[in-house]
Amino acid sequence: MSDILIDDRIRDWVFLPIIIVMFMIQMFRGLLTKYMDNKKTSQKVTSKAQVSEMIDKNITQQSQRLARLYGLLPDHSFKMKRAHLCDNKSGILTKASEKPAKDPMQSMSMMNPAAMADMLKQNLSGIVFMALQYQWVSYFFSGFVIGKVPFPLTQKFRTMLQRGVDVQNLDVRYISSISIYFVLLFGGLQKIQQLMFGDDTDEFVDDTQMQMQMQMMGMPTMPSFGQQNDPGKLFIAERTRLEGVKHSFELNKSQEKAIKSLKRFLIQ
Amino acid sequence: MEEPKVELDDLEVNQERLKQNTNQLKNLRVYGSLNAGMIAGILGMDGWIGMGIYVVVFLIVSACLAIKMNFRVKEYFKSSYDAYYSGIGTDLLLFLMIWVIFHNIVNIL
Repeated sequence: MSDILIDDRIRDWVFLPIIIVMFMIQMFRGLLTKYMDNKKTSQKVTSKAQVSEMIDKNITQQSQRLARLYGLLPDHSFKMKRAHLCDNKSGILTKASEKPAKDPMQSMSMMNPAAMADMLKQNLSGIVFMALQYQWVSYFFSGFVIGKVPFPLTQKFRTMLQRGVDVQNLDVRYISSISIYFVLLFGGLQKIQQLMFGDDTDEFVDDTQMQMQMQMMGMPTMPSFGQQNDPGKLFIAERTRLEGVKHSFELNKSQEKAIKSLKRFLIQ
Repeated sequence: MEEPKVELDDLEVNQERLKQNTNQLKNLRVYGSLNAGMIAGILGMDGWIGMGIYVVVFLIVSACLAIKMNFRVKEYFKSSYDAYYSGIGTDLLLFLMIWVIFHNIVNIL
Protein backbone atom coordinates (compact mmCIF):
# COMPACT_ATOMS: atom_id res chain seq x y z
CA MET A 1 0.00 0.00 0.00
CA SER A 2 1.67 3.16 -1.07
CA ASP A 3 1.96 6.08 1.26
CA ILE A 4 -0.73 8.69 1.13
CA LEU A 5 0.44 12.24 0.77
CA ILE A 6 -1.44 14.60 3.01
CA ASP A 7 -1.82 18.24 2.17
CA ASP A 8 0.01 20.85 4.20
CA ARG A 9 -3.17 22.70 4.79
CA ILE A 10 -4.59 19.80 6.76
CA ARG A 11 -1.77 20.15 9.20
CA ASP A 12 -2.16 23.90 9.47
CA TRP A 13 -5.88 24.09 9.75
CA VAL A 14 -6.94 20.82 11.31
CA PHE A 15 -4.27 18.97 13.24
CA LEU A 16 -2.68 21.84 15.11
CA PRO A 17 -5.96 23.65 15.83
CA ILE A 18 -7.48 20.55 17.38
CA ILE A 19 -4.53 20.10 19.68
CA ILE A 20 -4.34 23.76 20.63
CA VAL A 21 -8.07 24.09 21.25
CA MET A 22 -8.26 20.97 23.38
CA PHE A 23 -5.32 22.09 25.41
CA MET A 24 -6.83 25.52 25.96
CA ILE A 25 -10.14 24.04 27.01
CA GLN A 26 -8.33 21.81 29.47
CA MET A 27 -6.54 24.77 31.04
CA PHE A 28 -9.77 26.70 31.13
CA ARG A 29 -11.46 23.83 32.91
CA GLY A 30 -8.69 23.80 35.48
CA LEU A 31 -9.13 27.47 36.15
CA LEU A 32 -12.88 26.99 36.37
CA THR A 33 -12.63 24.29 39.02
CA LYS A 34 -10.20 26.42 40.95
CA TYR A 35 -12.61 29.35 40.83
CA MET A 36 -15.58 27.24 41.88
CA ASP A 37 -13.68 25.77 44.76
CA ASN A 38 -12.80 29.22 46.00
CA LYS A 39 -16.43 30.16 45.89
CA LYS A 40 -17.55 27.12 47.79
CA THR A 41 -18.00 27.73 51.50
CA SER A 42 -18.17 25.01 54.09
CA GLN A 43 -21.58 23.48 54.57
CA LYS A 44 -23.35 23.51 57.85
CA VAL A 45 -24.51 20.20 59.16
CA THR A 46 -28.19 20.79 59.65
CA SER A 47 -30.26 17.65 59.53
CA LYS A 48 -30.30 15.08 62.27
CA ALA A 49 -29.49 12.26 59.92
CA GLN A 50 -26.35 14.03 58.87
CA VAL A 51 -25.32 14.54 62.47
CA SER A 52 -25.65 10.86 63.24
CA GLU A 53 -23.71 10.06 60.09
CA MET A 54 -20.90 12.32 61.20
CA ILE A 55 -20.89 10.70 64.64
CA ASP A 56 -20.55 7.27 63.08
CA LYS A 57 -17.72 8.45 60.91
CA ASN A 58 -15.92 9.93 63.88
CA ILE A 59 -16.31 6.75 65.87
CA THR A 60 -14.81 4.65 63.11
CA GLN A 61 -11.97 7.13 62.71
CA GLN A 62 -11.21 6.98 66.41
CA SER A 63 -11.15 3.20 66.53
CA GLN A 64 -9.02 2.97 63.39
CA ARG A 65 -6.54 5.43 64.78
CA LEU A 66 -6.32 3.48 67.99
CA ALA A 67 -5.75 0.25 66.10
CA ARG A 68 -3.00 1.83 64.04
CA LEU A 69 -1.06 3.85 66.59
CA TYR A 70 -1.37 1.74 69.69
CA GLY A 71 2.39 1.65 70.07
CA LEU A 72 2.47 5.24 71.17
CA LEU A 73 0.46 4.54 74.31
CA PRO A 74 1.66 2.91 77.50
CA ASP A 75 -0.13 -0.21 78.69
CA HIS A 76 -2.72 1.14 81.05
CA SER A 77 -3.87 4.01 78.85
CA PHE A 78 -4.25 1.72 75.85
CA LYS A 79 -6.33 -0.65 77.93
CA MET A 80 -8.50 2.20 79.14
CA LYS A 81 -9.10 3.49 75.63
CA ARG A 82 -9.89 0.06 74.35
CA ALA A 83 -12.33 -0.57 77.17
CA HIS A 84 -13.97 2.75 76.47
CA LEU A 85 -14.66 1.58 72.94
CA CYS A 86 -15.19 -2.16 73.23
CA ASP A 87 -16.58 -2.85 76.65
CA ASN A 88 -19.29 -5.49 76.68
CA LYS A 89 -21.96 -3.30 78.15
CA SER A 90 -21.05 0.33 77.89
CA GLY A 91 -18.48 0.55 75.09
CA ILE A 92 -19.24 2.91 72.27
CA LEU A 93 -18.67 0.34 69.57
CA THR A 94 -20.97 -2.20 71.13
CA LYS A 95 -23.71 0.37 71.43
CA ALA A 96 -23.23 1.57 67.90
CA SER A 97 -23.24 -1.91 66.44
CA GLU A 98 -26.72 -2.51 67.69
CA LYS A 99 -28.18 0.14 65.46
CA PRO A 100 -30.52 -1.09 62.72
CA ALA A 101 -29.33 -1.22 59.14
CA LYS A 102 -30.09 1.77 56.98
CA ASP A 103 -32.04 1.06 53.88
CA PRO A 104 -30.79 2.49 50.58
CA MET A 105 -33.76 4.81 50.08
CA GLN A 106 -33.04 6.57 53.30
CA SER A 107 -29.37 6.98 52.54
CA MET A 108 -30.16 8.54 49.16
CA SER A 109 -32.38 11.13 50.73
CA MET A 110 -29.58 12.17 53.04
CA MET A 111 -27.90 14.12 50.27
CA ASN A 112 -28.74 17.68 50.99
CA PRO A 113 -29.14 20.14 48.12
CA ALA A 114 -25.64 21.53 48.50
CA ALA A 115 -24.06 18.16 47.80
CA MET A 116 -26.29 17.67 44.79
CA ALA A 117 -25.36 21.07 43.42
CA ASP A 118 -21.73 20.22 43.92
CA MET A 119 -22.04 17.01 41.93
CA LEU A 120 -23.90 18.83 39.18
CA LYS A 121 -21.17 21.42 38.94
CA GLN A 122 -18.51 18.77 38.64
CA ASN A 123 -20.50 16.98 35.99
CA LEU A 124 -20.91 20.22 34.14
CA SER A 125 -17.24 20.96 34.02
CA GLY A 126 -16.47 17.42 32.94
CA ILE A 127 -19.06 15.92 30.66
CA VAL A 128 -20.34 19.03 28.95
CA PHE A 129 -16.92 20.05 27.72
CA MET A 130 -16.26 16.56 26.45
CA ALA A 131 -19.52 16.46 24.52
CA LEU A 132 -18.98 19.96 23.20
CA GLN A 133 -15.53 19.15 21.87
CA TYR A 134 -16.73 15.96 20.29
CA GLN A 135 -19.50 17.78 18.45
CA TRP A 136 -17.14 20.51 17.32
CA VAL A 137 -14.55 18.10 15.98
CA SER A 138 -17.00 15.81 14.26
CA TYR A 139 -18.93 18.65 12.67
CA PHE A 140 -16.07 20.61 11.24
CA PHE A 141 -13.44 18.02 10.58
CA SER A 142 -15.17 14.92 9.41
CA GLY A 143 -14.71 13.05 6.20
CA PHE A 144 -11.00 13.10 5.61
CA VAL A 145 -7.82 11.49 6.79
CA ILE A 146 -5.69 13.42 9.20
CA GLY A 147 -2.66 11.36 9.95
CA LYS A 148 -1.19 8.02 10.66
CA VAL A 149 -0.61 6.05 13.83
CA PRO A 150 2.83 4.57 14.11
CA PHE A 151 1.81 1.11 15.22
CA PRO A 152 -0.11 -1.63 13.44
CA LEU A 153 -3.69 -2.22 14.48
CA THR A 154 -6.29 -4.84 13.73
CA GLN A 155 -9.33 -4.31 11.55
CA LYS A 156 -11.59 -4.01 14.55
CA PHE A 157 -10.34 -0.50 15.17
CA ARG A 158 -11.34 0.65 11.75
CA THR A 159 -14.81 1.81 12.74
CA MET A 160 -13.52 3.82 15.64
CA LEU A 161 -10.51 5.38 14.01
CA GLN A 162 -11.80 6.02 10.52
CA ARG A 163 -15.25 7.38 11.15
CA GLY A 164 -16.48 9.28 8.14
CA VAL A 165 -13.92 7.96 5.75
CA ASP A 166 -15.56 5.38 3.54
CA VAL A 167 -12.65 4.00 1.62
CA GLN A 168 -12.73 0.30 2.22
CA ASN A 169 -9.20 -0.87 1.78
CA LEU A 170 -7.47 2.03 3.40
CA ASP A 171 -4.79 0.98 5.85
CA VAL A 172 -6.09 1.08 9.41
CA ARG A 173 -3.15 3.24 10.29
CA TYR A 174 -4.66 6.26 8.63
CA ILE A 175 -6.90 7.96 11.10
CA SER A 176 -9.62 10.53 10.91
CA SER A 177 -9.87 13.60 13.04
CA ILE A 178 -12.17 12.17 15.69
CA SER A 179 -9.56 9.63 16.61
CA ILE A 180 -6.99 12.30 17.37
CA TYR A 181 -9.64 13.73 19.69
CA PHE A 182 -9.83 10.40 21.49
CA VAL A 183 -6.09 10.05 21.66
CA LEU A 184 -5.79 13.47 23.23
CA LEU A 185 -8.64 12.81 25.60
CA PHE A 186 -7.34 9.56 27.00
CA GLY A 187 -3.72 10.43 26.70
CA GLY A 188 -3.86 12.85 29.52
CA LEU A 189 -3.68 16.50 28.72
CA GLN A 190 -4.25 16.75 32.44
CA LYS A 191 -0.81 15.57 33.25
CA ILE A 192 0.79 18.23 31.14
CA GLN A 193 -1.48 20.76 32.75
CA GLN A 194 -0.36 19.51 36.13
CA LEU A 195 3.22 20.05 35.16
CA MET A 196 2.52 23.58 34.15
CA PHE A 197 0.26 24.59 36.99
CA GLY A 198 2.37 23.13 39.73
CA ASP A 199 1.35 21.02 42.65
CA ASP A 200 -1.69 22.80 43.99
CA THR A 201 -4.05 21.55 41.32
CA ASP A 202 -3.38 17.94 42.20
CA GLU A 203 -6.55 17.30 44.14
CA PHE A 204 -9.02 18.85 41.73
CA VAL A 205 -7.65 17.24 38.64
CA ASP A 206 -7.52 13.82 40.17
CA ASP A 207 -11.09 14.10 41.29
CA THR A 208 -12.55 15.05 37.94
CA GLN A 209 -10.48 12.50 36.08
CA MET A 210 -11.46 9.78 38.49
CA GLN A 211 -15.10 10.75 38.37
CA MET A 212 -15.07 10.87 34.60
CA GLN A 213 -13.62 7.39 34.43
CA MET A 214 -16.12 6.08 36.90
CA GLN A 215 -19.02 7.57 35.03
CA MET A 216 -17.79 6.15 31.82
CA MET A 217 -17.66 2.74 33.37
CA GLY A 218 -21.25 3.15 34.41
CA MET A 219 -20.88 3.20 38.15
CA PRO A 220 -22.89 5.78 40.06
CA THR A 221 -20.85 8.27 42.04
CA MET A 222 -21.94 8.76 45.62
CA PRO A 223 -20.64 11.66 47.63
CA SER A 224 -19.62 9.51 50.59
CA PHE A 225 -17.83 6.39 49.51
CA GLY A 226 -17.51 4.76 52.89
CA GLN A 227 -21.22 4.80 53.54
CA GLN A 228 -22.57 1.31 53.68
CA ASN A 229 -26.06 0.16 54.27
CA ASP A 230 -25.20 -1.76 57.38
CA PRO A 231 -23.10 0.20 59.85
CA GLY A 232 -23.61 -2.43 62.50
CA LYS A 233 -21.37 -4.89 60.70
CA LEU A 234 -18.72 -2.22 60.26
CA PHE A 235 -18.63 -1.56 63.98
CA ILE A 236 -18.51 -5.24 64.81
CA ALA A 237 -15.53 -5.63 62.47
CA GLU A 238 -13.80 -2.68 64.11
CA ARG A 239 -14.41 -4.14 67.52
CA THR A 240 -12.96 -7.53 66.69
CA ARG A 241 -9.96 -5.82 65.18
CA LEU A 242 -9.35 -3.77 68.31
CA GLU A 243 -9.75 -6.71 70.59
CA GLY A 244 -7.24 -8.68 68.57
CA VAL A 245 -4.53 -6.06 68.85
CA LYS A 246 -1.41 -7.26 70.60
CA HIS A 247 -0.23 -4.22 72.41
CA SER A 248 3.39 -3.33 73.07
CA PHE A 249 4.62 0.04 74.06
CA GLU A 250 7.22 1.38 71.66
CA LEU A 251 9.21 3.11 74.33
CA ASN A 252 10.33 -0.29 75.58
CA LYS A 253 12.10 -0.87 72.34
CA SER A 254 13.59 2.57 72.15
CA GLN A 255 17.04 1.60 73.32
CA GLU A 256 17.49 -0.97 70.58
CA LYS A 257 16.24 1.44 67.98
CA ALA A 258 18.58 4.16 69.16
CA ILE A 259 21.52 1.79 68.96
CA LYS A 260 20.51 0.78 65.45
CA SER A 261 20.16 4.28 64.10
CA LEU A 262 23.27 5.54 65.81
CA LYS A 263 25.23 2.68 64.29
CA ARG A 264 23.89 3.51 60.87
CA PHE A 265 24.69 7.17 61.35
CA LEU A 266 28.21 6.67 62.62
CA ILE A 267 29.23 4.13 60.01
CA GLN A 268 28.53 6.50 57.07
CA MET B 1 15.34 17.69 43.07
CA GLU B 2 14.66 18.13 46.73
CA GLU B 3 14.60 14.79 48.52
CA PRO B 4 14.67 15.03 52.29
CA LYS B 5 15.29 11.84 54.16
CA VAL B 6 12.58 9.65 55.60
CA GLU B 7 13.02 7.02 58.26
CA LEU B 8 10.34 4.37 58.45
CA ASP B 9 9.94 2.56 61.71
CA ASP B 10 7.25 0.18 62.89
CA LEU B 11 4.75 2.91 63.64
CA GLU B 12 4.84 3.98 59.99
CA VAL B 13 5.55 7.58 60.84
CA ASN B 14 5.61 8.63 57.22
CA GLN B 15 5.91 12.32 57.08
CA GLU B 16 4.86 14.72 54.40
CA ARG B 17 8.28 14.15 52.92
CA LEU B 18 7.41 10.80 51.45
CA LYS B 19 4.46 12.38 49.73
CA GLN B 20 6.69 15.13 48.38
CA ASN B 21 9.14 12.58 47.09
CA THR B 22 6.51 10.58 45.30
CA ASN B 23 5.07 13.71 43.75
CA GLN B 24 8.46 14.66 42.41
CA LEU B 25 8.88 11.15 41.08
CA LYS B 26 5.56 11.40 39.30
CA ASN B 27 6.59 14.67 37.69
CA LEU B 28 9.88 13.14 36.64
CA ARG B 29 8.13 10.22 35.02
CA VAL B 30 5.86 12.56 33.07
CA TYR B 31 8.88 14.43 31.74
CA GLY B 32 10.47 11.12 30.87
CA SER B 33 7.51 9.88 28.90
CA LEU B 34 7.20 13.23 27.10
CA ASN B 35 10.80 12.94 26.00
CA ALA B 36 10.36 9.33 25.00
CA GLY B 37 7.36 10.27 22.88
CA MET B 38 9.28 13.02 21.16
CA ILE B 39 12.21 10.74 20.43
CA ALA B 40 10.02 8.00 19.05
CA GLY B 41 7.99 10.40 16.98
CA ILE B 42 10.76 12.43 15.47
CA LEU B 43 12.89 9.46 14.58
CA GLY B 44 9.91 7.87 12.89
CA MET B 45 9.95 4.65 14.81
CA ASP B 46 7.39 2.08 14.02
CA GLY B 47 5.38 -0.35 16.11
CA TRP B 48 7.16 -2.30 18.78
CA ILE B 49 10.45 -0.43 18.50
CA GLY B 50 8.64 2.64 19.72
CA MET B 51 7.40 0.80 22.77
CA GLY B 52 10.96 -0.35 23.34
CA ILE B 53 12.07 3.29 23.37
CA TYR B 54 9.53 4.00 26.09
CA VAL B 55 10.85 1.19 28.27
CA VAL B 56 14.44 2.25 27.65
CA VAL B 57 13.80 5.86 28.59
CA PHE B 58 11.92 4.72 31.68
CA LEU B 59 14.88 2.65 32.79
CA ILE B 60 17.24 5.54 32.09
CA VAL B 61 15.13 7.77 34.34
CA SER B 62 15.23 5.14 37.07
CA ALA B 63 18.98 4.83 36.70
CA CYS B 64 19.45 8.59 37.01
CA LEU B 65 17.26 8.53 40.09
CA ALA B 66 19.39 5.81 41.61
CA ILE B 67 22.56 7.75 40.95
CA LYS B 68 21.04 10.87 42.50
CA MET B 69 20.06 8.98 45.62
CA ASN B 70 23.52 7.38 45.85
CA PHE B 71 21.75 4.01 45.68
CA ARG B 72 20.25 4.39 49.14
CA VAL B 73 16.65 3.83 48.23
CA LYS B 74 15.29 3.10 51.68
CA GLU B 75 15.97 6.57 52.88
CA TYR B 76 13.88 8.24 50.23
CA PHE B 77 11.16 5.81 49.24
CA LYS B 78 9.34 2.85 50.67
CA SER B 79 11.00 0.22 48.54
CA SER B 80 13.15 -0.05 45.48
CA TYR B 81 10.28 -1.56 43.50
CA ASP B 82 8.23 1.51 44.31
CA ALA B 83 10.88 3.94 43.26
CA TYR B 84 12.16 2.26 40.13
CA TYR B 85 9.60 0.02 38.53
CA SER B 86 6.13 0.63 39.80
CA GLY B 87 4.71 3.39 37.68
CA ILE B 88 5.51 2.12 34.22
CA GLY B 89 1.93 1.75 33.05
CA THR B 90 0.50 5.03 34.20
CA ASP B 91 2.32 7.26 31.76
CA LEU B 92 2.00 4.87 28.86
CA LEU B 93 -1.01 6.62 27.38
CA LEU B 94 0.76 9.94 27.63
CA PHE B 95 3.67 8.48 25.71
CA LEU B 96 1.33 7.18 23.03
CA MET B 97 -0.31 10.54 22.64
CA ILE B 98 2.96 12.42 22.26
CA TRP B 99 4.31 9.77 19.93
CA VAL B 100 1.31 10.00 17.62
CA ILE B 101 1.38 13.79 17.60
CA PHE B 102 5.06 14.14 16.86
CA HIS B 103 5.11 11.31 14.37
CA ASN B 104 2.37 12.99 12.43
CA ILE B 105 3.79 16.47 12.53
CA VAL B 106 7.32 15.55 11.61
CA ASN B 107 6.98 12.65 9.26
CA ILE B 108 3.69 12.69 7.56
CA LEU B 109 2.01 16.01 7.39
